[in-house]
Formats: sequence, structure tokens, C-alpha cells
Amino acid sequence: MATSAVEVAVGVPALSSERAVTWPKRTRARLSNGLEVILAEAHSIPKFHGELFFRSGNAAVAGRAPGLAEMTATVVRTGTAKRASRQIEEDLRRIGADLSSGAGADTSAISFAGLSEFAEPLLGLVNELAREASFPNGEFERERRQKLEEVKLERTQPGFLASERLRKVLFGAHPYGQVSPSEEQVAAYKREDLQTVYREFYTPENGILLLVGDFDSNEMLKSAEKVFGNWAGKKPDSKPSAAPANPRGRRVYLVHVPGAVQTQILAGCHAITRKHPDWVKLGLTNSLYGGAFNSRLVMNIREDKGYTYSPRSGVSAMRQHGYFSVSAAVRNDVVAASLTEIFYEMDKLRSVPVPEPELADAQNYLSGVFSIGLATQDGLLSQLSTVALNELPDDYLETYRQRVRALTPQDLLATARKYLDSANMQIVVVGDRAQIGEQAALFGEVEIYDGQGARLS
Amino acid sequence: MKRLQIGIENTKLANGLHVVVAPDSAAPVVTVGIYYKIGFRLEPQGRSGFAHLFEHMMFQGSENAPKMQHIKLVNSSGGVLNGSTSYDVTNYYEAVPSNALERVLWLEADRMRALKVDDENLKNQRDVVKEEVRVNVMNQPYGGFPWLDMPPVAFRNWANAHNFYGDFADLDAADLTDVQAFFKTYYVPNNAVLLMLGDVKADEGIALAKKYFADIPAGAPPPFADPSEPEQKEERRGHVEEKFGTLPAIAIGYVMPPRRTTDWCAMALLDQALHGGRAGRMHRELVLEKQIAVDAGGGIDDLFGYNGPTQMTTRVMHKPEYSSEATLEAFDAVIREIRENGISADELEQLKVKWRSDYFATLEGGRGGYMPKFGLMHLLACFTLFDNEPQLVNTILDGFIAVTREEIQAAAKKYLRNEKRAIVFRTPVKANAKEAA
Repeated sequence: MATSAVEVAVGVPALSSERAVTWPKRTRARLSNGLEVILAEAHSIPKFHGELFFRSGNAAVAGRAPGLAEMTATVVRTGTAKRASRQIEEDLRRIGADLSSGAGADTSAISFAGLSEFAEPLLGLVNELAREASFPNGEFERERRQKLEEVKLERTQPGFLASERLRKVLFGAHPYGQVSPSEEQVAAYKREDLQTVYREFYTPENGILLLVGDFDSNEMLKSAEKVFGNWAGKKPDSKPSAAPANPRGRRVYLVHVPGAVQTQILAGCHAITRKHPDWVKLGLTNSLYGGAFNSRLVMNIREDKGYTYSPRSGVSAMRQHGYFSVSAAVRNDVVAASLTEIFYEMDKLRSVPVPEPELADAQNYLSGVFSIGLATQDGLLSQLSTVALNELPDDYLETYRQRVRALTPQDLLATARKYLDSANMQIVVVGDRAQIGEQAALFGEVEIYDGQGARLS
Repeated sequence: MKRLQIGIENTKLANGLHVVVAPDSAAPVVTVGIYYKIGFRLEPQGRSGFAHLFEHMMFQGSENAPKMQHIKLVNSSGGVLNGSTSYDVTNYYEAVPSNALERVLWLEADRMRALKVDDENLKNQRDVVKEEVRVNVMNQPYGGFPWLDMPPVAFRNWANAHNFYGDFADLDAADLTDVQAFFKTYYVPNNAVLLMLGDVKADEGIALAKKYFADIPAGAPPPFADPSEPEQKEERRGHVEEKFGTLPAIAIGYVMPPRRTTDWCAMALLDQALHGGRAGRMHRELVLEKQIAVDAGGGIDDLFGYNGPTQMTTRVMHKPEYSSEATLEAFDAVIREIRENGISADELEQLKVKWRSDYFATLEGGRGGYMPKFGLMHLLACFTLFDNEPQLVNTILDGFIAVTREEIQAAAKKYLRNEKRAIVFRTPVKANAKEAA
């Protein structure tokens, strides 16, 4: 930091020798109907967690209507051929279970957790939702109205406005460019369109069932076969959308919120997917830059300068494309000062090799935090989901730490130069134009939008 | 019914520090926490928000670990850390690979022994806290609803009624003298509990606690202002403007019974009956059936973690075409029904199974998968500081499983009364967000 010489702690106990990290054995099977099943035991509490994923989400049907897969998933849980909405909710409570259904850009999912003693009835209900959802008209209308209010509310949240604009700027007409439907689009949803999505997406060939928890894997696999075995259905056709153009040159997008008492900054550029060989390198580079509490950006604009509470950088990866982004909600009078530091730290990583001790600290951080996921059922489930959905190698979890620890300052320099694309960052600021317009203009040509997404100037 | 028996060792050092160890070697990870028995409820008058600001200061440097070092040493050991301030406790916690246990204990002991901060640190964190308040409250739709809106309406004792995040003028008025005085008064070993959960043996954990903490001198027993409320005898109402959102929102809070009574257990199950997700009566009636609201939920905020007056609160966001009085009438119908008819044996059985399942999840529960056993830590800490009985984590469930239908209805009649409630109306200033920008 500029303010004082670096001080070190005195008398810190050394780390003792590390206990080996052992990931639990995974049991894998593919049922005769094509459904992929992955199981892992974790006996911390007498419960289990599961996800039934389908490899198709909002992006696959963006041409029909944005958010259609999400709306479909929402209505899936409201009725089946056998059970009405109220019955479903009470039956879940009866077996101590939680369940949710949703869809992201590339997947739809039914997520659930419950007591191990009631595993079969819970799997039975999940199966029913996946195969026999009845899309009751009244439930559809009610959920559509709620969605309408939800999309209105989103437009009052600075974080949403920032990410919506950034995704539009980075991905344009590609399905990833639209994060949420408009009110008009929600109003135009038809029940039949949801049912079509349901028929296409919710099939065993398109599915992966992941289960983690307090059970015997062989027994659980038998239950899964019994419950899901006689389901049939093909994988939907899918064709990837044309690649989006990668925006060149810094530009600034100001979303005008009159009277805002703070400014949300979000800047980003194209990056990579999880499958890309540079993923671990970029993960470590990000962790040094702004991905950890101890990172350079947090130390600079929070702990040294006090501009913000919540600075953060991250890599967001969808199936076809990914992007790097950095965000901070800052005081209105330090928007330019914050952006200056954001770029300073980026450019520094792009030009000066990271000192070895700092690299070692970051390597320890990333490999340590990775293993903490082992300690809870949902932490483990989320790691297994990442591997399965991104079709990563079987030994991904086991080899991750050594791959992090093998990286050198030169690797990070090259990675920063490639992906922390400072010259081409697209900058979104959400705030009051009268207070921040001039500051924003220092960083590039400014386009101004209102909260509804309409161009003002 | 499957039970969960958690092995716990606990002791108290000569300086009064409670130590609790819950060993579990399933993963090579240990969670460490220190809880101090002081929260924002009993922070000094004229210094609203101080307990939380002080929590930030605990990361700003101690005798042998200057500013930045605390965070750096935990992160670079492969761990994560945070702290939080609530009504009656403030906590600091880390989850680390178990080979970093000693290092974390050293760090926690160092800042319990001597906080070393200066004016620059204070100014820096005051700025950070103001941005925290802006990002969470002032620049967010429904920010602070109802956790900051309700106390001044519901309560009469300053301890319960003030702004817990802090008025900016009070934050500005805080100086280093306040910081050191607060530290000296409340951050003494005899007002704290140290917890280690996960990959550590019980005897090893206790030996390490002694090694790092035993020489920290005890302080005078901290003074605690009386947080009790005068008995509430009338319904209380308040109004708050909503700057951003377009839906009217209402929060209704009922005074809760004292902790660890039969009524308390009954209210927890009533909470499940009313607010237990989509099966809960509030969501079912207001959102799914009458369709007046787009969201209706709520509950008891931190059932095990409060040690003074609190409420069970319902939050309703309703469609603008319904008036707030019509919405309140629909809410009242749900309350009336449960007061007059209680709940069925079948519903009670469902509630208990769900309650047990949720309890297990709480014990294991991380924060986003990255703070294993956070819930177990929290319960052990509160049962130690409030009850001197950490073993309650293994028995507390029994009280809830034993609740009868009659007790539920009796609690509903006794506590779900208009003269025991407070209502906050959060009303949008603009009817339609689509105004010209």
C-alpha cells in the first residue's frame, strides 16, 4: 500500500504438516434409458442432497422467448398428473424435504434435499415432476403474474441493471446477451410453449442425476434405477448460436438512476469456459486480482482507500463462452478514482511478474478453499456438479490442487495479458448521471440508458 | 426417528474463557470461532452502529499482527474468514485446512489480548461501513425491510429500538477512545467462548486453547444494560417510504415468549406452520390461493441466537390493486384460523419432521458451502454464553418434538394478539417505476 511500509506479523506459528485431501469415491452409472447417475457418500448428517440436471436452459430457447426455460421450471413444481400444488408442498414437508426448480443459461434443474430415511419417496416425487408435470392453467397464470412483478423489481436493483447491461454489451444478440425477459415478453408466455420446452428438455438422455449424502451408494443406485429406470426420451436437438463479436476498445455505459446515493461499477471482457486449458491459470490470476479478501483490489480500494465495502472480481463461465468481470459499489464522488485503481491493478498484473511469496499465498488460498467444499454435503454436490456439467476429466478434483501449485509467475503474467483485457474492458456504471457523468467520461465514450434499458444519449 | 449425537468437550480456562471442541475428522478442515457476548442491542447510547463498526476494527490490527496481516495469514493458509454482529453476540470465524489451526488460534488470541488500531484505520473502516449501509440499505429496494424498520415501531427501550447499522452522525462521532473502551469492557476472555469444530481432537484442542489464551488476563465482569421492554398493551403501527420498489410491503411482528419455555418451542412450530416455505399457511393463503400477495414469508430471526426481546415477523409484498387494509385482513384471517382451530395432528406431524430435517441442516450448514458447521458453531456458542450448557445441541430438539396440538393453540391464543404486535407499512413513493428518467 502506498500509505505505509509493509508490516509483517511477528511470531506466527508455522503451518503443521498437511493432512491428505481425499475426495470420496464416486459411483457412476448410465441407466439403460440414458440417464447418467453420479453418487457420492457423505455421512455428516442423516440427510442427502440431489440435483436432477437437464443439459438445456434458457439459451436453447432464447429464440422463442427469453427466460422460457426458467418459467417452465417454475411451473413444473406446481402440479402433476397425480398431485395438485398443495399436495406437492405438503408431501415435501411430510418427508422433511426441500425442493426447488429453476433454469440457467445452459441447464434446467430440480434441486432437492431431504432426510435419508425418506429417500425413495423424495426421488419418487422428483421423478413425477420430471415426467408428469401437468402445468395447471391457474398455476401458470399465477406464476406468470409473479414473474411480472419480479422483472419489475429487478429493474430497481443496481446490481441487476449493471449485469444486464454488461451482458448485452459483451454478447449482443447471442442468447447470453439477455439475462432476463421484459414485462412484455413475460406477458406473452403461453402455457403450451412451456409444455413444449418441458417435453423437449426433460428427458433421461438429456439428464444427469447427482446424489450426495448419508446413504449406501449401491442401495441408492438401486433406488434410482427403480424410480427412474422406465422413463424414456431422447436428447433434444441443439445447435450452438453464432459466436458473439468481442467488443474492442474501452467504452462506458451509464445506467441512469436518479438520486442514487452510490454507484455500482461493473466492468468486463470476454474470457473462457470451464473446459479451456487456461481455466486454472485464470482462476489463480483472478484470485490474486480481486477474487479473495486478501487480493490486491480489495486491499487497495477497500482496506487502503475505503471507497467500497464490496469489491470483487470473478470469471463467469457458461457452456459456450465466459467472461471476466470486476465490480464494486462505490461512493459517488470516487467513481473515477475507483476505476483508476481497478485498471491500475489490472495493468500491474499485466506488466510486472507476481512476487513468489504472493504467488505461494494465492496458491495456498485457492487449493485450501477448494477442499473446504469436502466438508458439507451441498459443498461436495456443487463440486461434483461442476465436473459433470462441464465434462471435466474424472480426476479433476484430485488433480486440481497440484495444477494450481505448479503455476509460475510467468504463467500468471501471460494469463493476465491474455484475459485481463484492460484495453478492451466494457465499463458499466449505474448511478445518477448528474453526479457521475463527467467522471465516467474520463474512461471512454459514454452511452446513457435508463433503468428500463432505453437509450437516453 | 434418527437422531444425531454430536461429541462435545467443553471447559473453562482460569481467565473465564469458555472453550468448546466438537471433533469430526471426516474432512481435513477445521472451523474456529470466537463469540463475544455483546451485540448491537447493548452498544452505547449515542453510538448507534458502534458494535458493528467495532467488529470491522477487529480486522484492523493487533499487537503482533498489524493491519492486513490477519486476513492475509488466514487466506494464505488456504482458509476463509469473516465476522458478523447480531443482537446479542458478535462473532469472528475461520474455516481452514486443519494444519492451520494453531495459526488461527494465535491470531484470535493476539487480537483478544491487544487491539492495535489508529485514527487512519478508524476513518478507513467508517468509510467502508457507510458503503456497506448504502449497498445493503439506502441504495436497494426494500433495503432494511423490516429488520431496520421494525425496531423503532415495535420497541420502547432504546436497546431494542435504535438503528443497529447506525446513524451516520453517530458513526462519525465515534473515536479511538470509544474503540478502546468498548474493547476493554466487552472483549475480555470472561465474556467469550472459543470454538473448534472439525478436524481436531478434543484434548488437543483444549491444550491449544490453554497454550494461546490462558495468559490473557480476565477483565471486570462487563456491565449489561437492562434490555427488557415495558409490557406491550396496544397494537403499534409505523410507516416507511419505499424509494425504489413499486409493490407495497407490510411487516407484522408479534412479541416472542422467553427462550427455552414450552411456549417458545410451540412458537417455533407455529412459525413453521405459518412461514415454512410454500407449504406454510401465509404463502399458501396469500400467494397461492387468494393471490393477494406475490410474496409472503418470514419467521423468527435467529431462534437460538437472541437473548432479549424479539418478534416473529411476517413479511408480505402485495399486489398494488389490493389495499394494505385488505391485505392485512387476509393476513388476519390466517391468524384467526390458527387461533380458533389450532392445527391438525397430521399437520403437526409434518411440521415436526420438517423441523428435525431443518435442524440437521442447520448444524451441518455452511455459508454457501464454504463455512462448514457454521450452524453448529452458532448454537454451541449461544448455548454456552446464554445457558452455560453447550450440550443443549444434542437435547434441544426433544422440546420441539414433544409439543402438542393443545400447546400450539394455547401459544397462538396467547401470543398472536393484536395488542402484542407491531406493523410496518413500507409504501412506494412512486406508483410506477416507468417514470421518465
